[in-house]
Amino acid sequence: MSGAPAVPAPDLAALRPLLWTCAAFAGGVLLHADRVPPWAAAVALLLVGWRLLTAYRGGADPGVAARAVLALALVAIVLARFHTLNGLAAGTTLLLLMAGLKLLETRGARDQVVMVAAGLFLLLAACLDRQDLARAPLYGLQAWLSCAALAVIAAPATSARAAMSLAGRALLLAVPLALLLFVFFPRLPGAFWAIPRNDLALSGLSDTMTPGSIGKLATSYDAAFRVQFLGPIPPPQERYWRGPVLHEFDGQTWRRNAFDLRAPVPRVHVGTAYRYRVQLEASRQRWWFALDTPVGAPDARARLTYDDQLMGADPLNDPVSFDALSYTHTAVMQPLEPAAQHQDTALPASRNPRTHALAASLRERAGSDAAYVQAVLGYLRDGGFVYSLEPERLGPDAIDDFLFRTRVGFCGHYASAFVVLMRAAGVPSRVVTGYLGGEWIPFGDYFLVRQADAHAWAEVWLVGHGWTRVDPTAVVAPERLQRGIIDLLPQELPVRARLLHASPWLMQLLQRWDAANAWWTNHVVRFDYDSQLDVLARLGIRSPDARYLGWAFMLALCGWLALIAWHLRRAMAPLRPDPLARAYARLCRKLARIVPRAPHQGPLDFAAALIARHPQAQAAVLPLLTRYAELRYGPPPERAEREIEEFSRDVGRLSLARTVRDR
Amino acid sequence: MRRRQGEDHLPVALERRRLYILPTRGGLAFTALLFLMMLAGLNYANSLALFFTFLLTGFALVVMQQCHRNLLGTEVIAAVAPAVFARSTGAVQLTLANSSAAARPLLEAALRAGTLVSADLPAGTQRRIELPLAAPARGVVRIERVRLSTAWPFGLFRVWTWVHTPVTLLVYPHPHGALPIPAHSARAAGARSQLGAGADEWVGLRPFRDGDSPRQVDWKAYAREAPLLVKEYVQGASELRMFEYAQLAHLDQEARLSQLARWVVDAEAQGERYGLILPKLRLAADRGPEHRHRCLAALALFGLEDTAR
Repeated sequence: MSGAPAVPAPDLAALRPLLWTCAAFAGGVLLHADRVPPWAAAVALLLVGWRLLTAYRGGADPGVAARAVLALALVAIVLARFHTLNGLAAGTTLLLLMAGLKLLETRGARDQVVMVAAGLFLLLAACLDRQDLARAPLYGLQAWLSCAALAVIAAPATSARAAMSLAGRALLLAVPLALLLFVFFPRLPGAFWAIPRNDLALSGLSDTMTPGSIGKLATSYDAAFRVQFLGPIPPPQERYWRGPVLHEFDGQTWRRNAFDLRAPVPRVHVGTAYRYRVQLEASRQRWWFALDTPVGAPDARARLTYDDQLMGADPLNDPVSFDALSYTHTAVMQPLEPAAQHQDTALPASRNPRTHALAASLRERAGSDAAYVQAVLGYLRDGGFVYSLEPERLGPDAIDDFLFRTRVGFCGHYASAFVVLMRAAGVPSRVVTGYLGGEWIPFGDYFLVRQADAHAWAEVWLVGHGWTRVDPTAVVAPERLQRGIIDLLPQELPVRARLLHASPWLMQLLQRWDAANAWWTNHVVRFDYDSQLDVLARLGIRSPDARYLGWAFMLALCGWLALIAWHLRRAMAPLRPDPLARAYARLCRKLARIVPRAPHQGPLDFAAALIARHPQAQAAVLPLLTRYAELRYGPPPERAEREIEEFSRDVGRLSLARTVRDR
Repeated sequence: MRRRQGEDHLPVALERRRLYILPTRGGLAFTALLFLMMLAGLNYANSLALFFTFLLTGFALVVMQQCHRNLLGTEVIAAVAPAVFARSTGAVQLTLANSSAAARPLLEAALRAGTLVSADLPAGTQRRIELPLAAPARGVVRIERVRLSTAWPFGLFRVWTWVHTPVTLLVYPHPHGALPIPAHSARAAGARSQLGAGADEWVGLRPFRDGDSPRQVDWKAYAREAPLLVKEYVQGASELRMFEYAQLAHLDQEARLSQLARWVVDAEAQGERYGLILPKLRLAADRGPEHRHRCLAALALFGLEDTAR
């Protein structure tokens, strides 16, 4: 199409509906730009550009066959990439591409409406995907843009400003209803079908750990969960949030023992009971984080495993909140089961010989397991070990390499080395991953635990005590118990994170932002059937049920409709006539008692008709009607306002009674 | 459709009772989309999806009221159909007025089988809309009602009403025929024969009427801010032609009427005085637009009077 000679200049005004259609669709694509594969977003936007270019330059659109081939090819690519067309990510990608192709064949207003609907559908998909506070304004913009596009499609002459203001006004008028419906429209207590959506990975702890894997999270400022204590707050050195507990070690990687359904061992809880409420962010994983040792499962959606993890029944696709009770110390009197004993002392054979030798010599010198634990901790404390986010790569005998050569590591290295030393000496032990610490957010009275707070520690079985938490990192870098990574190792974090942290003002802003996010998650994203009943109860309805919700909803709807009708009627109020027209109308009303004015009669015709029937009225009426004609149609007098005022007064003075009596 | 409100006597303001409103196809699609969004939002207990569903539902309800408001209160001032010749296209001229303080964009008007004509009606204005109406054959075309509608502002709803105002379009015979215009007939008593013979004589000025030739307008006077006046000339009474239906015995009826219409049009254009003699009707010689209309109307309704009335 580049060589087309002298294409007539396209009518830009006629292209406006198409332009707006493309904008509404492209807006929907951009909402997913960072979620779908980059090529898919690029192809969708290219199709938009292509459609606009062909419309503008008058080039040829691809034929039916070309479009069909393109469609099949794109479906095949999506299938190859996702291995399914079901699921949110694959479905969204497919919708982007197919709607982009559909754009190529949009002709009339009907096709354009379909495209705007596709844009709104993409908005729905974006809502299902993410409900962050930061993204909500973008969603609002997309809704606004789509509605404005509808206005332009319906009336192509509408200017951009008029379309945006029309759509904006209608949406603003709709906001009260949307809020009322949001609160009162009866929600479902549960879901009736589900689309698979675990195809999207989020950053966070996983169910495996290599010594360096936790360090990767250290730069992530994302929230993992928030905790509000409903009573005593544990001291910093007790704020261990338990995540996946790892038992199996192959020399490099620690793994969970996934299919163990044993019940927790009966134990005695020691010390302070901590009651708290946790708000988990969507992690796409199944574990729920709780303070060290939770007492039982908090609700039916999760269960407590034998190694004290909380496992959700479903992956966390949406934020979840739960109340829990935990202790940070426990005691078990009975011996460890043989199966557990075997599992938690197992090590890969013929690996790390020097570590085994060290364990043997240290255990020999120590009198008991407890003394051995202290000896190993002493070895780590005094052995010249360095806490760092950027340790060297380790060789095949990773633990030997770490303990005797590099001596530089992150929490994962220390937990891993410690547990291997324990097992080498026959002491049952396991690696626990999770989070340590949390940032106090004064604006919401809660602790914010970020991904950067990810941590790994160890638990050893001591006869007479049961599983006992030991954090080898704490002897190497004792400050870690008090402060986050970012305070400890600022030089090893990216500049962005350091900058954020350097300014107290920025820090405070971030905390406020997190508090807003917490509020949003708590009150908007997780607003459900129970929250609705809460609202009704607060409104004074004692035994709230769905029927009250229905009534409240109907009442709200009717009230809002009446309000809108009133508002619109005000806008369409009759134009107030000018003073001259009002005076003339008054005169005509007076004269209507003897002769009504026909709609087609001007003032002079009317005067003629009137005088023909009532000649005696001439003196009173003719001057008034003539003056009106002059004021209205004649050249404007010098003091028009004054004259109109006088005319109005004279109309008021006109007494028809006298005229009629004169008859 | 039943006439719920009976025949309308113009001018009439469209009131609430007679407006009908339904979603358009686009509106139905929008509703389906909303339903889907609601199902998804409820199923996944997804608050944002539900909020946007409710927001767009509210939007649709606001749009419905805006659409209704756009037509409600519109005044239909007049509906007329100026006569046209057969085989051309006539028009129903609909005069609409908007006395409210807000504009009424994209009002649509349509005859029963005609195309939609849309127009914007700014605040406090009056506007004439021409609805084309085919006039294939001579006679009358009767329009019983006019449909007024609007889908503004978002095309999701269309509100409409029927204005039951009978309009009659008079269709003159197609002026056609090659026969020479008949010679001047014998002197007959004309209305203005007292002026005597001679070339065009200037009689005076009279107000402009529809159909007057622009060449006869006194433009100089108009430039002096006088009303639009037409210079009137009268020709000698000797130039008087009578067109007789009976003279054209060799043609069939429609061809005769076409020929007579041709003569009437030509004679009027040449400023001559002419009359018409039909089997049951005699129109005395005269001239001017009104006379021309009388003659052409007589031809148009020839043989149809009983059925048309």
